[in-house]
Amino acid sequence: MLAAFRGELFKSVRRPAVWILVILLLVLAVGLGYVVTYLIDTFAPASSSQGLPQGTKLSDFKVALYPQNFVKDTFSTWGSLGGVFALIMGVLVQGSEYGWGTIKTLFTLRYGRLTMLFGKLSALAVLVLVMVVALFAADAAASLVIVTIDGKAVAFPAADVILKAIAAGFLIFGFWAVFGLALATVFRQSAMAIGLGLAYALVVELLVFSLLGALGSSTTDQIHQWFPIANTGYLAESFGQITFRGVPRNPTPFADATHAVSVLLLYVVAFTAISAWLTRTRDVTS
Amino acid sequence: MTDTAIRRPPAASLLAADKVVETKGLSKRYGTIVTAVDNLDLNVYRGEVYGFLGPNGAGKTTTLRMLLGLIRPTLGSAKVMGAEPGTPGSLVKVGAIVETPAFYPYLSGYDNLRLLARYCEVPTSRVDATLAQVELTPRARHKFSTYSLGMKQRLGIAAALLKEPDLLILDEPTNGLDPQGMADVRNLIIELGKGQRTVLISSHLLSEVELMCTRIGVIKKGKIVAEGTIDELRGAATLTVRGTPADLAKTVLIKDAGDENVTALADGTFSLKVDLQRTAEINQHLVQAGVAVTELRADERSLEDIFMELTGTEGGL
Repeated sequence: MLAAFRGELFKSVRRPAVWILVILLLVLAVGLGYVVTYLIDTFAPASSSQGLPQGTKLSDFKVALYPQNFVKDTFSTWGSLGGVFALIMGVLVQGSEYGWGTIKTLFTLRYGRLTMLFGKLSALAVLVLVMVVALFAADAAASLVIVTIDGKAVAFPAADVILKAIAAGFLIFGFWAVFGLALATVFRQSAMAIGLGLAYALVVELLVFSLLGALGSSTTDQIHQWFPIANTGYLAESFGQITFRGVPRNPTPFADATHAVSVLLLYVVAFTAISAWLTRTRDVTS
Repeated sequence: MTDTAIRRPPAASLLAADKVVETKGLSKRYGTIVTAVDNLDLNVYRGEVYGFLGPNGAGKTTTLRMLLGLIRPTLGSAKVMGAEPGTPGSLVKVGAIVETPAFYPYLSGYDNLRLLARYCEVPTSRVDATLAQVELTPRARHKFSTYSLGMKQRLGIAAALLKEPDLLILDEPTNGLDPQGMADVRNLIIELGKGQRTVLISSHLLSEVELMCTRIGVIKKGKIVAEGTIDELRGAATLTVRGTPADLAKTVLIKDAGDENVTALADGTFSLKVDLQRTAEINQHLVQAGVAVTELRADERSLEDIFMELTGTEGGL
């Protein structure tokens, strides 16, 4: 499998689309998450504070941009949206093989189909890890710049918290990447896989459970706790909330991090198994 | 294999050699209506250049894909290099091109081969050697997406050679090549087929197959309808003679070739089943007997004639 892994990594690091995806994620994370937010919180007119709780100003929200909160801030924005980038990465890694017809080249080289698939999954795991580490690093750097500009004390979270955050981010992004890879395997193409993946990530689960929630059913949360987006949320929220003066805290997540990790791992295993079964049994006719 | 199929046993020297490809009752059905390959028994021996011929849709590519493990057979079995198709034991000794060669468009030809070398655990030094072999070195550093069809085909052949395989499976390897490129690839394949390496090649260019292959199999509607060397399938050549007076000519020809080997044709010519080496001698006898010979020609069936006859196709493949 090492040869398959090395091969996958060789072509992935030379693929412009992979780096465009990573750079786009980082630009959005720093640009929207820090630069734009900082400018609004700092320079917005006083009238912008209307609607906020009594005594709360927009500038009070700048605390979210400081190093002590960079882990929570990263999760609050990118815990769900960042998954979309990982999903696209997973689709690209597998779907393009069908699009270019290189799947038949791969399967006639030397090793069996499953070896090639697990080599691909291993390389995808490395790409996702790079993505997650780069995201936290970029956010940490941006928070450091902002706290320095504001002249406040620099205080990063403890190293073990940062490591746990990277591990949690890796699981969340990993789930999305494997989901993307499985969709690309099922549909043997990228376009359909990205379309359906984005629809699920941005609309389907949220819409269905919002509607069910509106009906006031007490069982909605019981069911929702087994769905992936709910669990990426539980895991992200397990790192705590950023508190602002005068703003009430969000309710405690329905399930804890252990539950979230277990469910997400189950999804990763299930999507890997589906991909492996299809890869092993289906004819390659492209 | 149907009862009517023409199947010549391979030469004794081949029988003694290893079977590199062996299929028994290999079949591929799609649903209940389409039978792409039907109960195919195919044997390819070490050192052969085996031509796999058939009209479009006859089942050539499906068969080759089954031999590479890309398509699972519905029935029957296959052994390639003594192992199940698509398993590492088989793939390690096989180089292949199936239809249009597929590579990564954002990588150069050189990097594509480096990538495949990594997958195959082949030393990178093989990359330069194979690129030189297919004369692609000058364009090796250019992106694959900028290659012409002919260059893509050359890169495909280079990739197939990367592992120094014992068996090459080439599906239409001269597709997209200009006449010079076709000649180059043909010569390359003839060269590769020398020694112990085996080449299994499907092609729709009968003239190419005639020049390259030591044995051919003709497939029609998923079944082998003929197999043997080209000479065996071509059968005995005939000599066509026209001379006056015709009666005297017939007497001389019967004396020379035997009654059973002379056929009088409706256009006034005679068809003789004889060794063509005797043409000059027969001509001399006719002239000495006082026959004015106005036409004397050897009629050899071309591979195209045989193909048309066997597959019932018109207008080529």
